Amino acid sequence: MVFILGVNFPERNLLKKSLENFFGIGNNTSSRLLARFHIHPTCRVSELANKQVLDLTAALSDMRIENDLRREVLNDIKRLKETGTYRGRRHALGLPVRGQRTRTQIKTPVKLNRMERKL
Amino acid sequence: MVPSACWNCVLRPRAAATRALLPPSSSAPRVASAPFHSSAAQYAQPAKKKANTQTMMKHRQSMSIRRKKKKPVDRVRPPPVGERKALKKRIVLSNPNALEIEGMADLSAETMSNPSLRGTIMGLPVDKLDQLRAVEAFKPKQSWSLFRRPSTVFRRSTYEMGRLIDQITGDVEGAQQGKVVKKIVTGPKGSGKTVHLLQAMTMAFIKKWVVITVPDARELVSGDTAYSPIEGTNPTQYVQPNATSTLLSRVVKANQDVLAGLRISQQHPALKGLKPGSTLADLAKLGLQDAAVAWPVFQALWTELNATKAAPGVKDEFQPRPPMLVTLDGLAHWMGESVYRAADYTTIHSHDLVFVNHFLSLLTQGQTLGNGGLVLYATSTSNSPSNYSLEVGLDQLAARQEGVKPSSPEYPQPESYSDADPRVMDLFQASMSKDGLLELQTLSGLTRDETRSYVTYFARSGLLREVVNDQLVGEKWSLSGGGVIGELEKVLRRPQLSRPQVATATA
Repeated sequence: MVFILGVNFPERNLLKKSLENFFGIGNNTSSRLLARFHIHPTCRVSELANKQVLDLTAALSDMRIENDLRREVLNDIKRLKETGTYRGRRHALGLPVRGQRTRTQIKTPVKLNRMERKL
Repeated sequence: MVPSACWNCVLRPRAAATRALLPPSSSAPRVASAPFHSSAAQYAQPAKKKANTQTMMKHRQSMSIRRKKKKPVDRVRPPPVGERKALKKRIVLSNPNALEIEGMADLSAETMSNPSLRGTIMGLPVDKLDQLRAVEAFKPKQSWSLFRRPSTVFRRSTYEMGRLIDQITGDVEGAQQGKVVKKIVTGPKGSGKTVHLLQAMTMAFIKKWVVITVPDARELVSGDTAYSPIEGTNPTQYVQPNATSTLLSRVVKANQDVLAGLRISQQHPALKGLKPGSTLADLAKLGLQDAAVAWPVFQALWTELNATKAAPGVKDEFQPRPPMLVTLDGLAHWMGESVYRAADYTTIHSHDLVFVNHFLSLLTQGQTLGNGGLVLYATSTSNSPSNYSLEVGLDQLAARQEGVKPSSPEYPQPESYSDADPRVMDLFQASMSKDGLLELQTLSGLTRDETRSYVTYFARSGLLREVVNDQLVGEKWSLSGGGVIGELEKVLRRPQLSRPQVATATA
């Protein structure tokens, strides 16, 4: 098990996929991270040298991921609500925000768009 | 409300109990027994709920069909790490059920350049099989497992190679002694390019050459092995420590006897752990223990193997180095961008990987191997990216060989706007000077004689139950696209439809 940014990853896992577990890191960001530290794309977590783990952790801690990113998104929605915009109102009403039809297929906004939104 | 038990039943509880135990008889109509009896309600099917979901639905609930989630299936534990790959790469070289062939010649120092054996099947020497396995000369998809022991067709090209190896070693008089011969081996699918390399390796082992192989070029550029930049290079070069370490382990395993007999003759200040007077095998083993120094170790080993005299300051007497055979399978993979990325996320060109660059530089002009030898790089057709630049390069090489001058309009050039890779074109340009010309060797189908001995080999091994005659050989030769050996093998190993034998038909 290897700790990367306080999270314990099994050694057999692919490093790229492991990085994608963090909220805010997808395919593109993880590939770029690997390239930045000269780690090959099929690297397993166990193959990492200690220095590489430290480098990765340092880079990840500089990035806006996980709770920081969640807070930022929530703040953005909150700002929309507070300024009384149409988008903010739709967020609060649990309705789609970007002009979708509301006759059917609005499961996701019903689920997600609340007054007290969680991410 | 109607009571569930009638007055009659209440008055006679024992009778009601017995009746309730009995199943309702379908033959006797209920109406006949008790037209107004309310106990019939007990036997009735439970009423279906009304399928009135529209009214039941909450406001803005989804209307899609709710499917039941599948239960997660109990998974079997995956096999241990590396087992599946080991199974995939397993090579079986012997089949005890196949018949042994009496009187089959072995490839040896005497037979490898014997013109009278041309077109026959020759066994690979049993004592070299371990070495051949070590350099990964056998591939999993070749059908060595059909026969009693591995053997190959001694083709015209094989005979010529045997003679060439003899000449380079100096056993036969010729101008080639100590020279470097560089060849790119191409040919259609199944024409025996990889087996040609295998035969070269076998001959080199017999002649006690040093054999260095890259069995799969793809592994170096597919992003499956670690890489790191070399400080202070411009443009940045990249080293692949683990791949180099694997290469060293192949070299040590296969050439143990030769390397253990040679002592260090040069100064290697970069390698601290190296004692003076140690053998080349010891030197190579340094890189196996620590992948971080694998590349410097390989460079040191390379200078040692190519040394022609001892460096000043080394006391040991210089032992002459043997010639070298360098082979590569799947050249096309090295002729473009690799999967690796630089720190700024741009792709790294294959030629910027020092490992790749080192082996490609052997193709360029001049005496690239100090003590002579053979550089054999084969293209692959079963695992090969389409590569326009390589195609043009090979065309140019073929034109050059036919005597077309680069200035003539018939000389193949990349089409305009075709986006040919300039680095690949430069490589071919550099390797086509007059001195130490790079050759193109195109393998094609077997001749009729070779086909006949190949078919006979199948028959004598018990795989083909037919009389081998001209008609059969001609048929198989045509079916295999003119004796393409891979296709021929497919045709021959196919389950044969039983034909009426001539003798039984007349009887």
